[in-house]
Amino acid sequence: MATAEATPSTTRDALAGLIPVSIVTGFLGSGKTTLINRLLRRPEMNRVAVIVNELGEIGVDNDLVQVSSEQMMLLNNGCLCCVLRGDLQETLRELFIKRRNGEVIDFDRVVIETTGLADPAPVMQTLITDALLLDQYRLDCVVTLVDAVNAPGQLKQFSEPVKQVALADRLVVTKSDLVGEKQMGALTGRLHDINPHAPVRLALNGDIELSFLVGVGLARVNARLEEVERWLGAEEDSDHGHRHDETVQTFVLRFERPMPWAAFTQCLEVLTALRGPDLLRVKGLVNVEGKAGPMVVQGVQHLFHPPLELAAWPGEDRCTRLVFITRGIPRHTVSDLFAAIGAVGASAS
Amino acid sequence: MAVEGSLRPGGQATPLALNMKLLGHHELAGFGGIGEGINLQKAKDGRRILWLAHESAPKNFTAVDVTDPRNPRMVVQTDLPHADVRSNSLDVVGDIMAVAYQTKKWGLKPAGFDLFDISKPEQPKRISHFDTSGPCSRGAHCVFFVDGEYVHLTSGAPDFEPTHPKDDQFYRIIDVRNPSKPAEVGRWWYPGTRKGDAAPPPPRHPRFDGGYRPHNTNVYPQRPDRAYIGYIDGGAWILDISDKSKPKPVGHLQYSPPYNGFTHTVLPLIERNLLVISDECVKDNGEDWPKLTWIVDARVESNLVPVATLPLPPAEAFIKRGGRYGSHNMHENQPGPCSFRSENLIFATFFNGGVRAFDLANPLQPKEVGYFVPGTPKLAPKGSAQINDVWVDENRIVYAVDRFGGGLYTLETTF
Repeated sequence: MATAEATPSTTRDALAGLIPVSIVTGFLGSGKTTLINRLLRRPEMNRVAVIVNELGEIGVDNDLVQVSSEQMMLLNNGCLCCVLRGDLQETLRELFIKRRNGEVIDFDRVVIETTGLADPAPVMQTLITDALLLDQYRLDCVVTLVDAVNAPGQLKQFSEPVKQVALADRLVVTKSDLVGEKQMGALTGRLHDINPHAPVRLALNGDIELSFLVGVGLARVNARLEEVERWLGAEEDSDHGHRHDETVQTFVLRFERPMPWAAFTQCLEVLTALRGPDLLRVKGLVNVEGKAGPMVVQGVQHLFHPPLELAAWPGEDRCTRLVFITRGIPRHTVSDLFAAIGAVGASAS
Repeated sequence: MAVEGSLRPGGQATPLALNMKLLGHHELAGFGGIGEGINLQKAKDGRRILWLAHESAPKNFTAVDVTDPRNPRMVVQTDLPHADVRSNSLDVVGDIMAVAYQTKKWGLKPAGFDLFDISKPEQPKRISHFDTSGPCSRGAHCVFFVDGEYVHLTSGAPDFEPTHPKDDQFYRIIDVRNPSKPAEVGRWWYPGTRKGDAAPPPPRHPRFDGGYRPHNTNVYPQRPDRAYIGYIDGGAWILDISDKSKPKPVGHLQYSPPYNGFTHTVLPLIERNLLVISDECVKDNGEDWPKLTWIVDARVESNLVPVATLPLPPAEAFIKRGGRYGSHNMHENQPGPCSFRSENLIFATFFNGGVRAFDLANPLQPKEVGYFVPGTPKLAPKGSAQINDVWVDENRIVYAVDRFGGGLYTLETTF
């Protein structure tokens, strides 16, 4: 391992040079702006480009603003705020072009604040499927903010907050000081039911440790075990031992034997064709016949990131591991499909 | 102030970077103008010594200890005998270094190249001088010396009278197996450039007459029978040098006009049958734009086909910054213990566009994967950094040099 790292590759690492993108989502009033505002004041976040819906919304103190235009604002600490213009693709492309031309800061991270009502899926899909953006950016983390006061009602009443929680890599509960312990326990239980893979933290007034929110996505093809585990989420055995949300099912499929890539893609094609909108998020490693390292799979509904091979298996476990977050698709439906198509020879373990 | 296009603190005073991190910077004792000769020696005592040829007088060459690339230290800096000569180019094999000398006018000396013993880097000792001065010679512009046996030289000669004053240099192969007695073993020139040739003199470039002479003359141990030559306005040539006394052309690519000439380096990616061919931008403020780096399919040597160019930032973003903007030198996959070799990653310099790295995994669609454009050096005569040449070592540490005052930048890559 040490030798491999000591000799630099004569090729490019397909992930290492990409600019990480964090998506901050959450229902109206959940504290997205407060969180971003606090993050921008941290010394480590001094080269961040933030894409917001309106510059006024970000509410940065005037004394922090160095230069501003209608569309962009440079802060004293070096960060850049930029208004979402047209569509996200256009804004991200334009930001990169301006960076390359030396017209804006050399940002090393992008934070996208979605609108409260937004479904984060299209934002994620843009990042994992747009060919031009794939060359420059990678999805690092979806952070969903949950307002402790209003979320219990919102999660019952609306479908968007449920989806925002289901798609998250990290959940941040805000305004926890305004509710009692019992209500908090109920809320975190509910969040865990919807998305058992996303760690939960409390934040008051946007105060949260940065390490919880960054460095979640895979950042290099030589990823170490802990990096892969951090990306996949710690809790793998979600099918046993706790309740499920009525609408969102989360489960992990494991297959011990390597499978042909064609069979795997056929399974995904069938799934996305029949149940694409309900396949909220899929991520995992696939042991493909004839490949030295695992293939990384990431999908949001019917769209998938182009497949990417890791340099080597991180750790001893060579099983295919796939995390599914679905709306109403039970585990057995997916595992039966894999068995029927013959991708795995036997049913999932 | 409040306009788009200025949303960078410090403007050009601060560097632009993507996936390249500045480790160290050395101004070379106030003589920070480096030409296009860089090579990294692994000295017998374990030190790593970077040898740099200066772009112009008064300095000849400078050696910098880059054992710790975060803390480069100057080891030696030498002077030229007078202001009408420049060294510009050097190469190192083991403990022997070849240094070119080109004069401003015909007939001056020293013109040709020196061989130095650099076993003690602090005290380079001249072994021999190969004199190429003559009534129509400015001497040598460029050396390519990687095998310890032959120097592939761009030079004039006392017996060479060109048909046009700008065509006064040609390709010469010099046997240096006995370093104290270098001797020419072969030569080749563009037909029609020497008085007395059967062929007529070649046509001048209609807008930018850069001349018909070689710039880089690259020969690699994997293909000792091939010389890859950028012949300025004469395009790119592949010569069969299996018989060094009789180099024979086997491939030629001419794309100027309509392009603006000055073919500079022909870097072969031998395993992949590709050539990476750089032009040199020689005019300030975009006057000779576009000056590109071409990816060429060389599966059939006699039919070289350009398939792509390296993607560069738009000219309008850089040409107004002062000085030159466009292609120039590349890291050339030199053999040796301290050289990075890749047929996928290309590192190249673009004057005020800095040093940039490209991924050629798909040669039809090269991708830019990193760049470093230094902030404008103090007292920069052109008002911008002018990154002239680059070396990449086996650890993928990048050494980039400025043409005028910026000196040496050491960088690490994160892609």
